[in-house]
Amino acid sequence: MTSPRLPPQLLRLVLLTLAIIGTYSVARVFLTPATFGQFGHYRGAALEEAASRPPVYAGAKACDECHGDTFAQLTKARHRSVSCEACHGPNRPHVKNPDIVPAKLTDRHCVRCHLADAARPAKHRQINLTEHYPNEKCLECHVAHQPNQSK
Amino acid sequence: MNSFLFLAQLGVETAAPHVEGFAYPNEQHVLWSILIVIYPYITGLVAGAFIMASLVKVFNVRALAPVYRLALLTALAFLICAPMPLLLHLGHPERCLQVMMTPHLSSPMAMFGFVYAWYIMAVLLLELWLEYRHDFVRWGQTEPGLQGALYRLLTLGARDVSPEALKFDEKLSSIVTLIGIPSAFLLHGYVGFIFGSIKANPWWGNVLMPVIFIFSAIVSGIALCVFIYTELNWFRGREVDDECLDEMGKFLFYALLLDFSIEGLDWLHRLYSADESIHVLKQLAAGKLFNTMLVGQLFCGTLIPLLLLGSTQVFRQQIPRFVRRRIYYFSALLIMAGVLLMRWNVVIGGQLFSKSLRGFTTFKFELAGQEGWLVGLTLMVLPYLILWLFLRVFLPAKYDKVGHSQGPLHSAV
Ligand code: HEC
Ligand code: HEC
Ligand code: HEC
Ligand code: HEC
Repeated sequence: MTSPRLPPQLLRLVLLTLAIIGTYSVARVFLTPATFGQFGHYRGAALEEAASRPPVYAGAKACDECHGDTFAQLTKARHRSVSCEACHGPNRPHVKNPDIVPAKLTDRHCVRCHLADAARPAKHRQINLTEHYPNEKCLECHVAHQPNQSK
Repeated sequence: MNSFLFLAQLGVETAAPHVEGFAYPNEQHVLWSILIVIYPYITGLVAGAFIMASLVKVFNVRALAPVYRLALLTALAFLICAPMPLLLHLGHPERCLQVMMTPHLSSPMAMFGFVYAWYIMAVLLLELWLEYRHDFVRWGQTEPGLQGALYRLLTLGARDVSPEALKFDEKLSSIVTLIGIPSAFLLHGYVGFIFGSIKANPWWGNVLMPVIFIFSAIVSGIALCVFIYTELNWFRGREVDDECLDEMGKFLFYALLLDFSIEGLDWLHRLYSADESIHVLKQLAAGKLFNTMLVGQLFCGTLIPLLLLGSTQVFRQQIPRFVRRRIYYFSALLIMAGVLLMRWNVVIGGQLFSKSLRGFTTFKFELAGQEGWLVGLTLMVLPYLILWLFLRVFLPAKYDKVGHSQGPLHSAV
């Protein structure tokens, strides 16, 4: 009497399957990041990594220290809700070392917020470039820090 | 460095000339472009070619036996390329394994990895192995050198070719095919589901989406087999088997008819239910997608092939063989182009209109670059190159005549 034996193909397939599952399990051990799952379904170390990235913004309060006059001017005018760095860009290096001068702002920079766009809330002041004094510089008439004042 | 970043932001402030009407700022740039068009196209060809092969095994369509191996090899060649567009689109392809190491059920990307792995290993490779094992044993004995060694290696050491062993191969292979059909549907249904599940987009969010994708996949897969079978025979200077080609033509016709009906139903349903999005969708179809959808997909990719293939069904006796062959070949090319355009219309079309339903943006196709059409073209050609290699090794001309799927044939009698 012969004992029922596994067909050789099937044996090979079973071995191969086990090998694949084994490889996967071993690979998981090595490829799963060390801090994965520490707090949730992500790398725990990602929090520290994100926190250790150097901040690039300094915040309007920092500007106030040296540019108090500008700060006072701005807070009295309609741009009061706009932070210094929303226009001047991230400027932490400049705060640490005033010799690193912020980039010069051009005229086009006003248009970034004020160009007429149907997707913007209607109460936000918008202009149509072809109608609102075309070919002239915004800053010839407007004061950047006090936009509702004319020069 | 920071000011550089800032200046880069300043570049985007002026009016967007490629936008018409009302479009939110985050809708003005088409983010899913050619690579995301090619991805469902390629997986569709895989699923279609596999289903075409399963006609031989499961439904025992004997006339198609000559293309059984060809269809499986084609499916494999295209499957190998299927994830490439995604990896390229995401950037950082070296991180792709990470998603498999720490998978999450809510991540379709991770699930795709497993569906893909299952499909390639548990279905396609297994089925190919069972189909080829007998030949690997034989060729391993007769072929010299490296190629022989490769065949011997691929037997995995299972060299038993007794009738019982072969019978067992067959039984297992039928089971694999049975599992393979739902798997093929799953692989490609997943693609339809990516789009169909996006409820916020009326062009995509539709339960019929996976079904539409699967049917168009079957159509394109059969067309691909017709194309490759014809080309291969021409290349090897051999007569095509007209019975086989006629049979493929028949299935191509009926699959296309079904596909057309389902997509037609989808449109009828949309037009009749006329929900709030219908105006923008109509404008889209008649405007930005006029050429790719109405002219390309519908007219050239569906109606003309339906007429051509339909004529071969009705007047088969009257149309001479060589004309029929040309008709099949030409229809297959049109259909493949039509399905590619269908993917285009779905993927690009869905991003051309605003969620406000009141405006459009424009898609500009670049030449070079990560999402350029050069990359797209390369990805579309690559599977054919891989297939060419497969055909040289696994379907060499000298074995081709006798080699094709003897399995189901002698078992069925
Ligand atoms: C430590 C003091 C100090 C702080 C804090 C400071 N600045 Fe300045 N800033 C200066 C000095 C000094 C100058 C003049 C530099 C020069 O003209 O060479 C200057 C000049 C400028 C200029 C004009 C550059 C030009 O082209 O003339 C701008 C704009 C500016 N600062 C913006 C800011 C902003 C925005 C902040 C807050 C993020 C800020 N500053 C914080 C000291 C400071
Ligand atoms: C609405 C955008 C905007 C905001 C907000 C803004 N600035 Fe300015 N700032 C400008 C523009 C534009 C200029 C260039 C003005 C010019 O050339 O006449 C400028 C110029 C300056 C200058 C150069 C000297 C001067 O006064 O012409 C300093 C210093 C300055 N800003 C500091 C600040 C500080 C500090 C804040 C925050 C309290 C701030 N700015 C907020 C747009 C802005
Ligand atoms: C970061 C976005 C931003 C930039 C850049 C910006 N603004 Fe403004 N602007 C605002 C906001 C916010 C308001 C306030 C709107 C409100 O209160 O309804 C405003 C208001 C104004 C007003 C209306 C004042 C009033 O009396 O109603 C004017 C004029 C104006 N800005 C001019 C300018 C000019 C000129 C520039 C270029 C130097 C500029 N803005 C740059 C955001 C911006
Ligand atoms: C020739 C002078 C002049 C120039 C140049 C100019 N403006 Fe004005 N702007 C005005 C005056 C005056 C008003 C107030 C009366 C009005 O609404 O027309 C005004 C109003 C505005 C308002 C408020 C609109 C509203 O609906 O209340 C914005 C925003 C504005 N300007 C932005 C700009 C921007 C941005 C530029 C540069 C592209 C610019 N302006 C150039 C003179 C000028």
